[in-house]
Amino acid sequence: MKTFNKILCIAGLSTLGFTTVHADLLSDAAKLDVKQACDVKANGIEAVLATAAKYNAEAVKLGVEFKRLGVTNSNYIKTTTEAAKAKQKEVVLKYKKKGKVKTHKMATDYAAWRSCSFAIRALQQQVEAESTWKLAVPGDGFKY
Amino acid sequence: MLLKVVKISALVAISACTLNAGSFDTQAEKDRQALVKYMEAKFSNPEKNKSFFPYSTEDELKRVIKKGVKAADLAKGSYAYDSIGREQYDDINEMPPYEDAIDEGEVLYGKKFANGKTFKECFPKTDIAGDYPYFDNKKKEVVTLTQAINDCLVANGEKKWNIKKGNMAKLEAYFSHQSKEAGKKVAIKIDSKEAAQAYENGKKAYYTQRGYLKLSCATCHVQGTGKRVRKEYMSPLLGHTTHFPVFRLKWGNLGTLERRLEGCNKDEGENPHKGSSKWAKEVLYFMSYMSNGLGIDGPDIRK
Ligand code: HEC
Repeated sequence: MKTFNKILCIAGLSTLGFTTVHADLLSDAAKLDVKQACDVKANGIEAVLATAAKYNAEAVKLGVEFKRLGVTNSNYIKTTTEAAKAKQKEVVLKYKKKGKVKTHKMATDYAAWRSCSFAIRALQQQVEAESTWKLAVPGDGFKY
Repeated sequence: MLLKVVKISALVAISACTLNAGSFDTQAEKDRQALVKYMEAKFSNPEKNKSFFPYSTEDELKRVIKKGVKAADLAKGSYAYDSIGREQYDDINEMPPYEDAIDEGEVLYGKKFANGKTFKECFPKTDIAGDYPYFDNKKKEVVTLTQAINDCLVANGEKKWNIKKGNMAKLEAYFSHQSKEAGKKVAIKIDSKEAAQAYENGKKAYYTQRGYLKLSCATCHVQGTGKRVRKEYMSPLLGHTTHFPVFRLKWGNLGTLERRLEGCNKDEGENPHKGSSKWAKEVLYFMSYMSNGLGIDGPDIRK
């Protein structure tokens, strides 16, 4: 009986393995300390941007990517990666508003930190929401 | 004896199934009633129930925010309780800036496609604003009025319209106007397991905090209803879908519910979902169900 259960379990888990990439990245992200994971001085800018890219791709898939003042996090990551490669101290983020191209400027290190924290926070929020969203529903968790 | 058992169990099975068929909307109906109760409690007496309005002054609660507002009034959005905003609203509505759009919508409705057919083939009736979105049990997806209009265009060899403004808003203004004239109400159905799931998805999305600002739609339109953001009082989820399309002074033209949804989603600090996405359609399905039973009241104006 025990071995049978084990076999079932293994079979179950291995099929799960294919379908839980989402869940893996989500639970990975949930465990991260954003301040550490996105610290440019401690990890180096390339590593921070790689972390950003890894988690943001998942945020895009789940439809929870952040966007701030016209700039998507994908845009942050792309532009900042180019600036880091070119050893530029400043990034110029371009975005469109009412058909016109506009820009934001900021320090490259800061942009890297932001893109990384945005990527991870988007996923962490998604995990947190699983246990919090009902707290806002009248007739369910919301008391007044 | 055995036959009897079989018969009885068959009967039980059948009645269980029919019972089920009628109960796919049980949860949604509970949610809707709880929302009505909450909103009516909030506005029963703002001066007394200050805890609902933590940022308002005494004076504001006394002079500006109306009391005894009922669910049916909330189709007017924040103008149901913001008496100053309501005055401005009534002024503008003396010469509503959307009237031409209704006429233009009527023309679009009757205008021939290149193949000689018209929208009448897809929409034999025009008082239909309250029947959308519906869940298509064959396609297994939510169909909004906007989508149905574009599907009709494509089926007739025409190009899709922009879902935010222009022709789409005009035709929808016509449908909404016709529905209002006919006294139609929001009448959203949830008639299958999949439909109930789509509703649940929409509800969860609505109450989920998102974006770098970590806000949910509910932060502003459920808990936040009646709170002030600069000069504007935030409107309630209840009644949000009854009056679209709207002419917004900020836009300077008529826009669809999808346009508003994208704007608010962006304001949460999220890369906004397209109005035609599964996400947006399910959110709209949930929102519309919450307004079930309220009168169609569009098109309308907003700041
Ligand atoms: C930061 C607060 C905030 C958040 C979060 C927010 N909105 Fe809004 N929303 C507003 C404000 C302000 C207005 C304009 C005033 C009003 O009608 O409430 C508005 C207007 C609307 C309207 C038009 C109401 C009418 O009567 O014309 C709809 C519909 C709407 N929001 C839906 C949503 C949805 C769906 C979400 C979530 C994706 C959302 N909002 C998130 C602040 C917010």
